[in-house]
Amino acid sequence: MMPEGLTFNINHGYLEGLLRGFKGGILKQADYLNLIQCETLDDLKLHLQSTDYGNFLANEPSPLTVSVIDDKLREKLVIEVEHMRNHALEPLSTFLDYIKYSYMIDNVILLITGTLHGRPIHELLPKCHPLGTFDQLAAINLANTSIMLYNAVLVDTPLAPYIKDCISAEDLDEMNVEIIRNTLYKSYLEDFYNFCKKQGGATADVMCEALAFDADRRAFIITINSFGTELSKEDRMKLYPRCGNLYPTGLNMLGECDDFEQVKVVADYYPQYKELFDNSGINPGDKTLEDKFFEHEVKLMKKSFMQQFQFGVFYAYIRLKEQENRNILWIGECVAQRHRAKIDSYIPIF
Amino acid sequence: MGSIFRSEEMQLCQLLLQTEAAYACVSELGELGLVQFKDLNANVNAFQRKFVNEVRRCEEMERKLRYIEKEILKEGLKIYDINENPKAPAPKEMNDLELEFEKMDSELRQVNTNNEALKQNYLELAELREVLSGAQAYFAMYGNNIQHLVEEEAQHEESIIGTKNQQAALGYYVGTLLREKVPVFERVLRYVTHGTVYVYTEEITKTFEDPITGDQMHKCMFIVIYQGEQLRNKVKKVCEGLRGNIYPVPDNPNERNEMLVGVSTRLDDLENVLSQSNDHRLRVLGNAQKEMRAWTIKVEKIKAIYHTINMFKAHQSSLIAECWFPVKALDDIRRALSAGEKMSGSSIPSVIQRMDTHEAPPTYYSCNKFVKGFQNIIDAYGIATYGEVNPAPYTIITFPFLFAVMFGDAGHGVILFLFGLYLCIKEKELAAKKINNEIFTTFFGGRYIIMMMGLFSVYTGLVYNDVFSKSLNIFGSNWKPNYDPDHFPLSDKLTLDPITMNENGTAYFFGVDPVWQSASNKIQFMNSLKMKMAIILGVCQMLFGICLSIFNHVHFKHYIDILLEFVPELLFLGCLFGYLVALIFYKWLTFESADAACAPTLLIHYINMFMFKYESKKGDCDPNYVFYSGQQTIQTLLFLVAILCVPVLLFGKPLYLIIKYKLNARRQFMHSPTDPLLSNEVEPANQVNPAYQHDNQDSGAAKGNGVGGDPPSTMMSLNSDEESEDTDLMKSASSDAHGDHEKLELGELFIHQTIHTIEFCLGCISHTASYLRLWALSLAHAELSEVLWSMVLHMGLSLGGLGLGGVILFVIFFFWANLTIGILLLMEGLSAFLHTLRLHWVEFQSKFYKGEGYAFEPFSFDEIHEMQTLEEAT
Repeated sequence: MMPEGLTFNINHGYLEGLLRGFKGGILKQADYLNLIQCETLDDLKLHLQSTDYGNFLANEPSPLTVSVIDDKLREKLVIEVEHMRNHALEPLSTFLDYIKYSYMIDNVILLITGTLHGRPIHELLPKCHPLGTFDQLAAINLANTSIMLYNAVLVDTPLAPYIKDCISAEDLDEMNVEIIRNTLYKSYLEDFYNFCKKQGGATADVMCEALAFDADRRAFIITINSFGTELSKEDRMKLYPRCGNLYPTGLNMLGECDDFEQVKVVADYYPQYKELFDNSGINPGDKTLEDKFFEHEVKLMKKSFMQQFQFGVFYAYIRLKEQENRNILWIGECVAQRHRAKIDSYIPIF
Repeated sequence: MGSIFRSEEMQLCQLLLQTEAAYACVSELGELGLVQFKDLNANVNAFQRKFVNEVRRCEEMERKLRYIEKEILKEGLKIYDINENPKAPAPKEMNDLELEFEKMDSELRQVNTNNEALKQNYLELAELREVLSGAQAYFAMYGNNIQHLVEEEAQHEESIIGTKNQQAALGYYVGTLLREKVPVFERVLRYVTHGTVYVYTEEITKTFEDPITGDQMHKCMFIVIYQGEQLRNKVKKVCEGLRGNIYPVPDNPNERNEMLVGVSTRLDDLENVLSQSNDHRLRVLGNAQKEMRAWTIKVEKIKAIYHTINMFKAHQSSLIAECWFPVKALDDIRRALSAGEKMSGSSIPSVIQRMDTHEAPPTYYSCNKFVKGFQNIIDAYGIATYGEVNPAPYTIITFPFLFAVMFGDAGHGVILFLFGLYLCIKEKELAAKKINNEIFTTFFGGRYIIMMMGLFSVYTGLVYNDVFSKSLNIFGSNWKPNYDPDHFPLSDKLTLDPITMNENGTAYFFGVDPVWQSASNKIQFMNSLKMKMAIILGVCQMLFGICLSIFNHVHFKHYIDILLEFVPELLFLGCLFGYLVALIFYKWLTFESADAACAPTLLIHYINMFMFKYESKKGDCDPNYVFYSGQQTIQTLLFLVAILCVPVLLFGKPLYLIIKYKLNARRQFMHSPTDPLLSNEVEPANQVNPAYQHDNQDSGAAKGNGVGGDPPSTMMSLNSDEESEDTDLMKSASSDAHGDHEKLELGELFIHQTIHTIEFCLGCISHTASYLRLWALSLAHAELSEVLWSMVLHMGLSLGGLGLGGVILFVIFFFWANLTIGILLLMEGLSAFLHTLRLHWVEFQSKFYKGEGYAFEPFSFDEIHEMQTLEEAT
């Protein structure tokens, strides 16, 4: 095989260049310092105008609301990702599709939970993430069981193979939905992991690390969230994605855990996670474990920009942009609710 | 003195404006467009500035205007370009404007919502009509009683499965669906119901208008026939999910007919109402359309003014601004300020105060549209350092001329000239059209350059005697060989020795004798001519460039540079290549055709000059033997002078600076024995807050220094020209503590000078060679046009008789003309243009031009007038 460096740019050079340009538009620490000084959302808008966001809020009448900002942020990301997807060639196009699958899973779960709570489907559909919409989503209110879900909605979507592990005729309830979500995610992560591994080279290096972290994070969170629920240990074991650094020993140990302290003991065996667990806490002033995970993710994603001629940057950019949107929304919420005490808990990227 | 030779004299001033008068004053200055404000609040957030609320109000107005504009454009109406220039309204009038926009906006929005509701209604009815007629046709074809279908189905099923299903009543849904959703609809229905419902879809030929976006929608009607309650629910859910509209259709055909009639009448009514509401909408938009342009300009002006005032520093009840402007415009600015004060009714006059600064002023030329084109060429390389000689005025002549040397063909030149002339004559009309095509704007922007290039090409074309690769015999050839035509048949080639054959010794009146056109050694002759001409032109231009540098030295008061840079450079180039040019002229003037064989080969002589090789005479006329008395002495002398210039260039300036520094240091040591404690203190010049310093470098020279409150005299100079180098050196010389630092700087100085010397000396040689492109391109152009003539048009001229030949010529001329324009004018023209550009930027300007300045960007409303729609502003 030819070395990637020689041939990568033939097909993907334009998009990588474009993406690295987009990356330059990610807000810097200085921008955040300015943002947290805002008094109102209009100040926020004014400052964002001087960044790469430009006039993305110019046509919104004031007073602004956080949800409008949310919509616009999402719209901007979607436009960028769709543009890249439309110009992508194989295997980058498949890679980008894989990224979209996670949004599809989220949408499916969102709609199922929504319909379980009796919300009409046309009210729920606009709430779906545009990156993960597909036509069959509309029929999701038919699915009362996972079989129906498979038959009516997912059968000819890329998600179909992921659900095969949890098809049952049981009625859907909250517990089931969570299990479906985690099973879908597990199969998805493993599939994506294998796909990246097959690509080889720098893509495999970067992406396997990123996905392994994602898998481990899920395993930890599933374990922690399962305490005090009726989820049995065997079932829990089935939900762990088996492509992370924890696999197989760590997962086995996690499977035996009964409380948070035991999870911590497991994490102690892995230096990269030990640090996250050690520095987090639930006391005021401490960072939550979730934030620590996010921080670690940002670090990983930033690292992936160090390598050229690989697809990891596309994944990293979307992840970083998601994080940035979360940051802006957090700051926006703090500003809007005049609750400035915790405005600093955003996660700086650059 | 015209300001085109170097930048206008610029002055940094402090403006003290009364807060209430600031708005009007800035507005007047914006109309004047000769003042560049410095941002004194560079370290303040955009949303923490003083007039941020006003800016925000402007943005709100902009948003409303954009909405109105969008609606106007959506309706296909145009926004008229009024040719007036409304002044920025007073701040009080801003409220009126806001109210007006608010009214307009809400009116328009209301009209639109009404319209949308009506359209939605209309859409539903129209769909219903289509659905009804579709269903009518369907049921008419398959029988009105659908229940018998179920029996057929049951029988069919029975025949396959063998058991009889329990019968449930058949029901059906009729509705519409977007065309692109049909495949999904059918697929989902099949999966959900396992194929137990019957789906019939048919495309509706009519397109519908989306009430909100106004887009055209293609829809399909569907009839889904199902059996039983459970399936009914499923079908309904699928329809809802895919945004299908289900319409109630009665079972009875008569009722359906009645309904159809009813729907049609309601549709007619609705159409009436719709057209009325549309008229109303058009009226509203029409009103807005007239005012749109003026509104836009006004709002943009207000915003620009507040944006500018936001850069001022507040000081008690007044605002302090710092600005650059040309000294010449001081009176205009005073007038504008007093006009502004009068308008705002302020009693206290504004104050303009000169400021002294080390900061380099921006570079500004007030040039007309003719010079502007050439100035742009120079600026594209780099804006002149303030006070530096501007190459543009010389470029006006040399640029088209060097282009023409390469493009030399009178025929092509005329076409180019006429094209440029057309652009220049139609200038106003074309500019009014505001064509945004990038290629066109490039040509349009360079219209004067194109015209000049065409004009000069005609001249050089006549010198080369080349018109579409043919020669003109205007004055009659002066080549009159005295051979006997009877002896030599005319058709053969014959060599005519000018010594024996030519009767008349005079030259052709202007340019090259047309007889060369038919000579077979034309190329050899032209090569020799053009090559020598290229060298002569090149060396002259470079010498001129070096001479221009003397004006820089005088202006910047670097008198020592005249001795240590200008003189050695001039001597180096003059002794080596100036001598070559002199030789060329000497050869042209002294060697007649009679002693052509003895004429020296300049190339060999020139090479020998460097080798110190002088051959002994061989035979009567040896072209390699010295051809004037004292040649050896002169050449050796010239070469030695040139070589000696190199060390002067290399060491002169650094040594001078070292000596100067040593003397200074000694003087300093003698007069003030420095206290080591004191000398360690930071100098005031460096006492800028580090946080600000970052900003300084960031905002760069273009935005100026962001340090507001500090007296400007303490500002660090960002400018790195030699002046500041000198002062830096002096500064560091004043304190012993900086010993290491200053030694390093001396090292840098040496390196810098070495680079400069090497660049210059090697440059002289390579640049002279580089000018040979003049010859190469002109040769290529001449050859290409000759090929085009002989291979294309010549064929047309020689083929066929009078009748047929005419037709062939007609066709062939088309190709010839197109190729001439496409290849010779466009491609060759572009390539000659690029080479000329290079000759100016590299070969000419490297001799004197630094281009390290930044452009003067005055605050001006001009751009606001030029933009067409609000979309451009965002």
